[in-house]
Amino acid sequence: MNNLINTFNMKTVYLLLWMCGCLISVQAYAQTNITVTGNVIDENRQPLGGVTVLSGQPLRALGTTDENGNFRFSVPAGATLVFRIIGYQERSMSAGNGRTSLRIQLAPDASALEEVVIRGYQKRSKELSTGSSFTLGEKDLPDVPVANIETLLQGRVPGMNTQLNTGAPGFRGSTQIRGLSTVSMTGTGDQSFLQPTSPLYVIDGIPMDADRATEYGFQQQGPGISPLSMIPQEDIASIEILKDAQATSLYGSMAAYGAIIITTKRGNSPIPRVRYTHNSFVRTPPKLRETLGGNLERQLKLQQIYENAQDYFDIWRISSEAYFLSDSLNAYWNNSTNWQDYYYRTQYNQSHNLHIDGGDQLFNYKANVGYFSDQGIIKNTGFTRYNANLRMEYQPEDRRFQVIGAAFAQIGKQSVGDGVGMLQTGVASNGLSSTLLPPPSFYQSGGSHASALNTSNNNATRLIRTNLEGSYQFIEGLRASTSVSYEFESKTEDTFTPAAANNQFARVYAYNGRTTQLYNRNSLNYSTTLNENHNLFLNFFNEFRIAGRQSAISRQERSPNDQLQGPLGFDGFSSRGGGLLNDYTDERAASFAFAASYDFKKKYVVDLSYRLDGSSANGFENLYARNPAIGLRWNFDKESFLEPLEWLDYGALRLSWGVNIIPTGTLERIYGRFDITGNYNGQQGIGLNFDQIPNPELAPKTNTQYNLGLDFSLFSGKLEVIYDTYYKRVENELFEQLLPNTTGFTKLFSNGAGIANYGHELFLMIRPLRLNSDFSLSFSVNGAYNKDVLLTLPEHYGGQFIRWENDVNNHFQHVILRVGGSTLANYLRLNDGVYTTDGDVPVDPVTGLRYQTNGEYFKGGDPILRDLNGDYLLDGNDYARTGNSQPLFTGGASILLTYKGFSFNLNGSFTGRRTILNNALAQRMGLMGNPFGYQAVVPLDDVDMWRQPGDVATYPYAYDYRRYGTIQPFRFDQDLWAEDGSYFKINNIVIGYMFERDWIRRWGLANLRVYVSGENLHTFSAYSGPNPENVTNMGRDVSSGYPVPRTYNVGLNVEF
Amino acid sequence: MAALTLTCTITACKKFLTVEPVDRLTGNNFYLSINDVEANVANMYSMFFDKINEGWIIGGIGEARSGEIFVSPGANNEAARRVVEVLGENDLWAAMDPSAPWEWYHYERVTNWTRYYQVIQTANILIDKLEEGIPGVGETDKNRYLAEATFMRCFTYWWMVRLYGDVVYYTDPYNAESLPREPMVEVLNKCIADLTPHKDNLPWTFADPAQKGARASRGSVIALLMHMNMWNAGFDRNNREAYYRQVAALGTELIQSNAYRLYPLTEEGWGTVMKGRSDESLFEFYRSINYGDNNAALAPFGDHFLRWPYKFPRFNNQISHCYFIDTYMAKLYPTGIADKRADFWFEDMLSNSGQFVAAKFAFNVYASGNEDANPDNTFLIFRYADAILLHAEALAELSRDNEAIASLNMIRERAEATPYSGSGGQDLRDFIFWERCRELFGEGHRYFDLVRTQRIMNSAFARNPLNSDQYNRRAWTWPIDQSARNNNPRIVLNEYWLTR
Repeated sequence: MNNLINTFNMKTVYLLLWMCGCLISVQAYAQTNITVTGNVIDENRQPLGGVTVLSGQPLRALGTTDENGNFRFSVPAGATLVFRIIGYQERSMSAGNGRTSLRIQLAPDASALEEVVIRGYQKRSKELSTGSSFTLGEKDLPDVPVANIETLLQGRVPGMNTQLNTGAPGFRGSTQIRGLSTVSMTGTGDQSFLQPTSPLYVIDGIPMDADRATEYGFQQQGPGISPLSMIPQEDIASIEILKDAQATSLYGSMAAYGAIIITTKRGNSPIPRVRYTHNSFVRTPPKLRETLGGNLERQLKLQQIYENAQDYFDIWRISSEAYFLSDSLNAYWNNSTNWQDYYYRTQYNQSHNLHIDGGDQLFNYKANVGYFSDQGIIKNTGFTRYNANLRMEYQPEDRRFQVIGAAFAQIGKQSVGDGVGMLQTGVASNGLSSTLLPPPSFYQSGGSHASALNTSNNNATRLIRTNLEGSYQFIEGLRASTSVSYEFESKTEDTFTPAAANNQFARVYAYNGRTTQLYNRNSLNYSTTLNENHNLFLNFFNEFRIAGRQSAISRQERSPNDQLQGPLGFDGFSSRGGGLLNDYTDERAASFAFAASYDFKKKYVVDLSYRLDGSSANGFENLYARNPAIGLRWNFDKESFLEPLEWLDYGALRLSWGVNIIPTGTLERIYGRFDITGNYNGQQGIGLNFDQIPNPELAPKTNTQYNLGLDFSLFSGKLEVIYDTYYKRVENELFEQLLPNTTGFTKLFSNGAGIANYGHELFLMIRPLRLNSDFSLSFSVNGAYNKDVLLTLPEHYGGQFIRWENDVNNHFQHVILRVGGSTLANYLRLNDGVYTTDGDVPVDPVTGLRYQTNGEYFKGGDPILRDLNGDYLLDGNDYARTGNSQPLFTGGASILLTYKGFSFNLNGSFTGRRTILNNALAQRMGLMGNPFGYQAVVPLDDVDMWRQPGDVATYPYAYDYRRYGTIQPFRFDQDLWAEDGSYFKINNIVIGYMFERDWIRRWGLANLRVYVSGENLHTFSAYSGPNPENVTNMGRDVSSGYPVPRTYNVGLNVEF
Repeated sequence: MAALTLTCTITACKKFLTVEPVDRLTGNNFYLSINDVEANVANMYSMFFDKINEGWIIGGIGEARSGEIFVSPGANNEAARRVVEVLGENDLWAAMDPSAPWEWYHYERVTNWTRYYQVIQTANILIDKLEEGIPGVGETDKNRYLAEATFMRCFTYWWMVRLYGDVVYYTDPYNAESLPREPMVEVLNKCIADLTPHKDNLPWTFADPAQKGARASRGSVIALLMHMNMWNAGFDRNNREAYYRQVAALGTELIQSNAYRLYPLTEEGWGTVMKGRSDESLFEFYRSINYGDNNAALAPFGDHFLRWPYKFPRFNNQISHCYFIDTYMAKLYPTGIADKRADFWFEDMLSNSGQFVAAKFAFNVYASGNEDANPDNTFLIFRYADAILLHAEALAELSRDNEAIASLNMIRERAEATPYSGSGGQDLRDFIFWERCRELFGEGHRYFDLVRTQRIMNSAFARNPLNSDQYNRRAWTWPIDQSARNNNPRIVLNEYWLTR
């Protein structure tokens, strides 16, 4: 350490001497100053304001261009001016030899290498980065109004799989970087969800937990507004996605599933700039289920009964029970109600965003005020956001000090009706009501109908975050900075269920929670160049975080009436209490990280990093998790033997290894939980909670990742390629093991499970046209192949674990984990088609009896369910492993075409090779199971169904309602419903026109752009269900899910 | 310097990162004081008691299965009470039939051993923590708690052995393994080896009268060791001599300690014994309404054999639910032989009707006049008299007849009964057996005595005997609940009960 200080001191002396020398030389030149004026334009020949002009040695900012791109500076004759602005290539031009009027055109950042990446909260040149990451700039985000910015990333980043599996406004879909990272499932049946393994989001240097709203799966208490839905898309400057462990390891455990770094805009215009963005958009529901209405329904049901009745009793039931079929003249039963129409709607929405910024390098500021409304396509649901973000930066001339202050205030309001957002079970089941029933009215206030439409649900999330950052440069290259942020989030939910919806007694539910986070980061970094060839960058930082959470609920059954929603709590029976929930959190984290980067002539780069992550949740003994990483990079284009190649812009090979450790041991899991329970002999007892056995040996989950990457660009950016291949191993995955009852405990959290993911990612960018052409076209396509393999399971399972689904209502769709295979497979009965005739049913040669189940023999028209154990009896043993619910391929494509002011942008995404269980179809066909019931019927003309002996069909006969109880032809637990869920989706198309500047100047505008856009326009898929994306992350198409709407938008962008 | 800075930072961080959870008690902030140990021990006893409190358990497992109990004609809930006769036919599947009228007796709960293993885990973890060291627990206290936890562990194994035969045995904390059942003789031998070293670490009696009997003492340990030895003597017949010698030695030690005494059979004396915390109690589950203890109405043995005026309210407690058949009662207390127990403990003993009263269990205090519950009913497990008779039994088996008769006559003397003056040998052994039945009537020992002495195969002793095939296939056990096989393929259920 002392040696280091000495070195610093010596260096300081040298530096001071050298700087003095510089000052003297500047003075010498100052005597022959000239005035240089000029104009800076962009690739579309539009003036570029806010371009920083620098000059001198070392470079010093002279100022920036005005809004018309003009500048005027006094510089020494012969000085070189450097023009710099984010998003464009830097250019320099000398101002000597009588050239005092310059016209400079800046080309957009074609070369990805000029980009800046962020590693460990420090900006680094992408040319020197060894990890695998991907950056999207402001311009890469299409002009489509979205509630959640994650939507815009879909199909844009190779290796990042975003699925919009819900259309519920304000909720997030699922995002996975590089495949499956968990085998933990929560919930049962259709509501089985993988434990969320979301990437870490870092917003302006502050880490944020995107799963916060979904801590307990999706059926959490409290408003489910995703924190990502609180960031307005207009305020985003860039998004960087870190994929491999080298890139993420500096962010520690929380970034084990990748990291997404979002930088918001900052002020950069000498004159204040006001930008207003408006979107008017229409969301339309997708095509809904077809039903047969009115008399058609009655006729179909009657015909079904006549044809399939077993005895006269069935016929007699038509008049004795099924009045709605027989009493067709009764006005009450004489309807043709389109029930779905009462729940789904086309909705018009608006968003407004006002962005004001100004300032220069010295002092700049930004304010973003926005309003966004997305009233859902299901009635009584919606999301509204208000935001006000503020940011200021101050950096004095000598750039020693820098102070940044920012404040974010956001209010999100949401309603989910009586559903839980992702699932709208009430709406889904009501939508299936018989069309013969009279439409909803107060008189016919079916409880569930009133519940779906009249439940008043009001969720609000109010978030305030401030941060303050200061830095000081001691000497050239050595900078210390500190950042403090405090975030407060209040979450409330108020639900009032009117009497009509709850057995004639109104009900009140209220939730009130808050989360807080105090965050502090201190860093010290030093960069130096030795002998002009050796570059060294050292970065040390620590982070402290105190996170708190507390929430409470209160419940009141039977409020006096629908008008009186309070006061609450009038008796012991109806006041169902609630009180503090058990999600109380007081968590502290302290981390220390060190990163060193060395390069030789920017040709060979070595990155080393190490991070210690401590958290109070880890228990007391193993406080720290250690995350090491190594990265190597070879910029081979800089080798002398490749330098003559004109067509090679750049080329680099990257190799990295890193480990992320995720502590999974909570105090409860490690030490057990003690409850105050049982007393004996006058002594209050305290004893173990026997739900889970304490496991002092619980090891943290370990993600190890190897990455090999190749980047190159050819022919002046005409072709850019990024290729990565990786191997990721998840070890010590937390596995919930059920215990034998001789242990006294129910379950054990152990480390037995492990997964491996490996795959390839490719990104291609083609710009076929010349740079100075009026047209510009860029075409990019990216794809990722990811395969996951289950490596281990706890020993005694013998390599196989079946997660049985034992509840009838959950369809018996089991999940099997088998070592050596893809991790999550279904465990179903195998369907081999439909018996064409009775004679096709196999007969047991021993007993002479036909193949049977539940005491009923199979016959023609029944599904051929494979008899796996050959006992001529279909029972609980006839299940087999089939399918893989995780996609093998994901990716997307995008086209950007511009001609003068016009622009056309198309983004698409695809998902390939995943198994979806089409439960929606199973349910639809199963609707025919009870012609006496008050359920709608659906046309089955388009379905390849067995109708008469001899038919070779895919689907069994649906009209023989007597076989539903025994044969269960449409049972969910068969692979008849397993379909390939591959799709290609046109995510969005934006067509825009930017008015000529000269034109609009007369209206006093600086910029005017109008555009039309569409979102979720079309999905190309062979899947027979409504939407192969609108499925759970376990690949089940739940008909009670929230459909993803299609959006048409007209937008406007004005700047003045 | 750097190292120092780093050390300081790390220490400070450790403090920063140490957050005591305020909303829950986790294992890391438990076992931090002697109070925590006391609370944990209380929890352990109360967990075991839950198993006794699940229904009419003491009667069901220890008294009814040899077939002497019958339903009183006209008893309230007569159809449901018939379960005692079903038990008496050893038809346990019928006794557990969920569609039978006696469904609410819930005998299927007996077949689930999870709770017992929870007691064992608690004891194992407590022992582990004690050995690690708990602040504020000195060497003496530590040894005492170690002995107490070991006692509860062995007591639980012994209790399970009597119910299920072979059981899964382990003593390590946090055991999560799928273990097979071990032969019961081995289990008990392990328990004897486990418990014996701890015997002298417990006091004979407690300075605090509130702990007398209610908490494990040296007398409890001795009684349990005697019982375990006697059980093994019955099944490990090649080594029986050794077991008997052990019992004889333990019994002598117990008697010579003079730490315990037999109370006179007066209202006050016997009332004290039944209330609990008496000098006669070696081990009991003490219950008191003053502590808010809640006994299931069905749980006490006496519940089925009491009527008004011993049980309230009068209108629906005119007769006892059940009675012991007169032939058996006559065999227990033959006329002509003086025995105060016959008069003091029973009313209408030979009535074969609901007039039958086991007044032995009538010495509880009701919370109020109209209570059909036994709030203050202490559950006696080991009584001094029980240990004395085991002593006598072992001595008789060792043919030390005079010593055996001396012990036997201690019991008869207290009962103001004619002292035994008969011959030695088999007569004496049989008499001691009957004396156990007389003295320990209703305390849940008789059926297990029949089983371990093989008298269950002899109709002279049991009204519903087992044949030797049934005995060898362990018809005396209870079935083990199917759930024991969940996640543990190595468990084999009790074979006798697999065929219905």
